[in-house]
Amino acid sequence: MELSAYAQGGWRLLGDPRRFPRRPYAALLRAAFRSLLDHPRAGLDDPDLKDIDPTVLKHCHAAAATCILEAGKHKADIAAISTCLEDCKLDKERIEQFCTEYQCRELVTVVSFSIGRSPLHITDVSWRLEYQIKSNQLHKTYQPSYLVTLNVENSDSGSHPDVSFSCTMEQLQDLVGKLKDAAKSLERATQM
Amino acid sequence: KLKVGTETVQQGVEGLMFLLTESAKLMISEVDFQDSIHVLGFSDELNKLLLQLYLDNRKEIRSILSELAPKLPSYHSLEWRLDVQLASRSLRQQIKPAVTLKLHLNQNEDQSAQVLQTDPSTLLHLIQQLEQALGEMKTNHCRRIVRNMK
Repeated sequence: MELSAYAQGGWRLLGDPRRFPRRPYAALLRAAFRSLLDHPRAGLDDPDLKDIDPTVLKHCHAAAATCILEAGKHKADIAAISTCLEDCKLDKERIEQFCTEYQCRELVTVVSFSIGRSPLHITDVSWRLEYQIKSNQLHKTYQPSYLVTLNVENSDSGSHPDVSFSCTMEQLQDLVGKLKDAAKSLERATQM
Repeated sequence: KLKVGTETVQQGVEGLMFLLTESAKLMISEVDFQDSIHVLGFSDELNKLLLQLYLDNRKEIRSILSELAPKLPSYHSLEWRLDVQLASRSLRQQIKPAVTLKLHLNQNEDQSAQVLQTDPSTLLHLIQQLEQALGEMKTNHCRRIVRNMK
């Protein structure tokens, strides 16, 4: 596990007790974890951090967040994280503080899991069954028809207009048949 | 060749068109059709010809008329693929199963294909929901409506 020069610079600042006494250090670690796992803006308005220069704060926050993500990315163990932080001249106590926070937060991998591009993701489906009686062009149609809406999410922007389409009963049977084939293959694959 | 003016021919064609489309649209019975054209005062032979023309083309005309109704893209077919994501830029050593689908839809002669993805549990949920949808047509409620609407 390696950190970029910029991140290492930030950690060196974090390791300096003159720049970052104990309380602000702990506050920054909390802020970094919270901003990744809970809410993007959380934590930086902690009163313990108000005396720190904003540029330094930004640099250190970035460094801490980078370390968290890199550790998650490589599923690094405590030894690897410690070695990395030792290279940034952090004392044992501060390294231990970081590792303890990291271990408590099992969710780091979940965050890393969700970062990245993927095709539109289906989250749910709704359907409607109707019986067509007539239209202004054609009377006495008497035909059942399904309207299916797939709720989709975009990995980038979150929401996306849903995909809707109509189909006859036979077409819906075809669709369900194919989805069941996929599910069966999936089951077989997991048993291998 | 017909030895009549172009306007007459045009009116004739339009008249026939109207007769056939209206009859097909309303799906009128043979008897009703015969009664309707009777007022035109044509010969019996012509009436028979018109009736035959109506019956022969009714299905096709109805299928063309059904294309004119407002509608959404309709299902054409589905392709699927199973993937396992092993790593990404933000996370190494993953085992993340995913199902990638390509949904082919038709709208007014244009075909479109949309690539979508889902995870195994959502796939099972989709199957369950859509099977319920299929089952609805067999319920007493729907059967009753279908019976009474004819």
